[in-house]
Amino acid sequence: MAVSPPSSKLLLLLLISSLGWLSTPGSAFIMDRDHMTSSAPLEPHFTECISRDQETFRCWWSPGNFQNLSDPGALRVFYLKKDSPTSEWKECPEYILSNRECFFDVQHTSIWIPYCVQLRSQDNVTYFQEDDCFTVENIVRPDPPVSLNWTLLNISPSGLSYDVMVNWEPPPSADVRAGWMRIEYEIQYRERNTTNWEALEMQPHTQQTIYGLHKGKEYEVHIRCRMQAFTKFGEFSDSIFIQVTEIPSKESVFPLTLVVVFGIVGILILIMLIVISQQHRLMMILLPPVPAPKIKGIDPELLKKGKLEELNFILSGGGMGGLPTYAPDFYQDEPWVEFIEVDAEDPDSGEKEDNQGSDTQRLLSVSQPVSHHMHIGCSNAISFPDDDSGRASCYDPDVPDQDTLMLMATLLPGQPEDREASLNVVERASERGERPLIHTQTGGPQTWVNTDFYAQVSNVMPSGGVVLSPGQQLRIQENTSTTEEETQKTEKESEGNEETDEKKQKELQFQMLVVDPEGSGYTTESSARQISTPPSSPMPDKGYHTIQPQPVETKPAVTAEDNQSPYILPDSPQSQFFAPVADYTVVQEVDSQHSLLLNPPPLQSPPPCLPQHPLKALPAMPVGYITPDLLGNLSP
Amino acid sequence: MNMMTVMQQGIWAVSLWPYLLTVSIPLDCKEEQGSLSRCPSISQEKLLDRVIQHAELIYRVSEESCSLFEEMFVPFPLRLQRNQAGYTCITKALPIPSSKSEIQQISDKWLLHSVLMLVQSWIEPLVYLQTTLDRYDDAPDMLLNKTKWVSEKLISLEPGVVVLIKKMLDEGMLTTTNSEQGLFQYDVQPEMLESVMRDYTLLSCFKKDAHKMETLLKLLKCRQTDIYNCA
Repeated sequence: MAVSPPSSKLLLLLLISSLGWLSTPGSAFIMDRDHMTSSAPLEPHFTECISRDQETFRCWWSPGNFQNLSDPGALRVFYLKKDSPTSEWKECPEYILSNRECFFDVQHTSIWIPYCVQLRSQDNVTYFQEDDCFTVENIVRPDPPVSLNWTLLNISPSGLSYDVMVNWEPPPSADVRAGWMRIEYEIQYRERNTTNWEALEMQPHTQQTIYGLHKGKEYEVHIRCRMQAFTKFGEFSDSIFIQVTEIPSKESVFPLTLVVVFGIVGILILIMLIVISQQHRLMMILLPPVPAPKIKGIDPELLKKGKLEELNFILSGGGMGGLPTYAPDFYQDEPWVEFIEVDAEDPDSGEKEDNQGSDTQRLLSVSQPVSHHMHIGCSNAISFPDDDSGRASCYDPDVPDQDTLMLMATLLPGQPEDREASLNVVERASERGERPLIHTQTGGPQTWVNTDFYAQVSNVMPSGGVVLSPGQQLRIQENTSTTEEETQKTEKESEGNEETDEKKQKELQFQMLVVDPEGSGYTTESSARQISTPPSSPMPDKGYHTIQPQPVETKPAVTAEDNQSPYILPDSPQSQFFAPVADYTVVQEVDSQHSLLLNPPPLQSPPPCLPQHPLKALPAMPVGYITPDLLGNLSP
Repeated sequence: MNMMTVMQQGIWAVSLWPYLLTVSIPLDCKEEQGSLSRCPSISQEKLLDRVIQHAELIYRVSEESCSLFEEMFVPFPLRLQRNQAGYTCITKALPIPSSKSEIQQISDKWLLHSVLMLVQSWIEPLVYLQTTLDRYDDAPDMLLNKTKWVSEKLISLEPGVVVLIKKMLDEGMLTTTNSEQGLFQYDVQPEMLESVMRDYTLLSCFKKDAHKMETLLKLLKCRQTDIYNCA
């Protein structure tokens, strides 16, 4: 039909306005009860119409504020079923007045057909709202599901949380099995005594898993449902409570075996580590090492490098690296060995300080009032040292003081006549009688003796003295000063680098033992120059210094020494000096007959600065060792 | 509003995703009206299941479309009119049972024919709806997509029902009757509100009929599997 646009528009406007006016009072229960606005004249209205199974439905009404209509029978319900244009209003098929309810049974219920309901009072006053029209499928609120229960699904490895499977049955009123209603479910759960519910996702199946519940807490679970793709939910079911307090540890045995296995593996690893780390010690315990043989007199370098000729040369006793058997024979013939008394321990001496641990320190320290007794702490001071280490341990780098000088003097042969010092080199055997000899020397000049502490005892005199091998030197120094020592040291070093042609054929030369106050060890250098003293005459033999003074001989030696030796001050008349006869003679040269030319002590006053070439690189090293570079010197 | 559309698009995509996979497969068979031999034969049960799934999905999407449209275009006071749309629904004249008891009493044939009638009667209006929606200025894409999808699915549903009828009832092919065409009037450039209300009514009616289709088919299925319990 052709309706003129303006009139249709007007009609529409009227319709809209009327609807707007009508919708505010009363309830639009189809929409939502939230939209209900209460106005003063609340007329009778329908509160709700609900269908539970999509086959029947009920409507409830209330009289509103109209008190005269409060009687349940005062109002009547009429409905209109819009299945044809000629339909009419009919009265409620079944009243339940106690509830103010109108029930529409199956015969009176049609789906997909709009219904409108209205209230009519006795006097035909109609209270009707447009929004009280609906179709039944849109007002369906299913009953809550039934038979809600849960089962424990699994437990986390920590044992603190678990999962639960909740299952239920669809509401019996809803014909889900026939497909008449398609229902989906919503589970909600919360901790007991909290306010917020946690909702899980809606799904149409009759079971659902709740993950991550905590042990010990009690949970409340309930469920509701609705038609799929519809908006209205049914009511919640009754809550069930889930609580797991004691989680059965079926796998308690399993971790135990794991622990045992890991423990064993760990112990095994530990044992392995111990074995590997202490490998050397274990090897030492199980297989003790065989001590290496010490071949005296042969430089292991020779052995390594395979210089057989030199080796043979040495073995045949042709050089300084002679076998030890050679040396004692050499020294035993020396008559002019001197006695050296050494008191290894003298606790009576109050001059000793407590901190002087070793006798050598006392021996060497100049500044300290060392006792008259010389203590050589090392027993092997006169013996052939095997290696450097022995010497070093016996050596004390202290600045030799006056007493030390004295002690030094006692050590070396060629003691001044006014003093007799005897060193008892044999271990701690002190000759009492000879001590005063030392004592007398206290007033004597300060003698500073450079002693080769590893002097060999070549003979023991009947008087008890000990004949030392000529590895010693008597150095007399009045005032030892560090400068002197330094110069001495430097000179020594300079000497060390020089080649000297001075040889002594038959006499061994002294090896000057420099007492290095700085503790860098002492170098025995042939300081034939310095030592070069004429006392060779009183000492016909070489190598031996007897400490028993032979003043006559020593004096010139001293003087001679004074000229040359930086260590010896010129005004030390009493200083004595030995003829430089040394056991440790420096091999200067090898002549054509392959005989070693040693550094002879000069009979005359040697030039003051006669460069001498001490045995190169023959520091406090064991006698008998010739290094290859020394061998180089030996070659003619 | 954009957030809502995005959300609804997402919801739509999520909801449709499982169905698309399952339903899209037999479409080729359903569309083949002439020669069934070209399609691999599908069992009756499976076909019925697929048809039911189809109907369920159509209903869901139509419900979402109606909600979208209602939110977007229909003023609040007028939203109640959907409940009164019984008169103006185009399918009101169809002799379709409207209660469970009635449905249980009718035969399979009548059920299937009812479904077919519904499907056939809604194909054209949905196409029309598409055109009118496109005319709106601010119609969200989600709404347009949904209505389009529904329209397409309905079109593909029809041959499926035809095949089902053929299988179940051993009837010959039915030609689509367009007797409803005259009822639908095309207004050239209607007023906006009028158009809105008409479309709104259309969507509501279609939603109702989609639900009807789904329910009918499900009852039919129940009857097929377990006739005694579905009575």
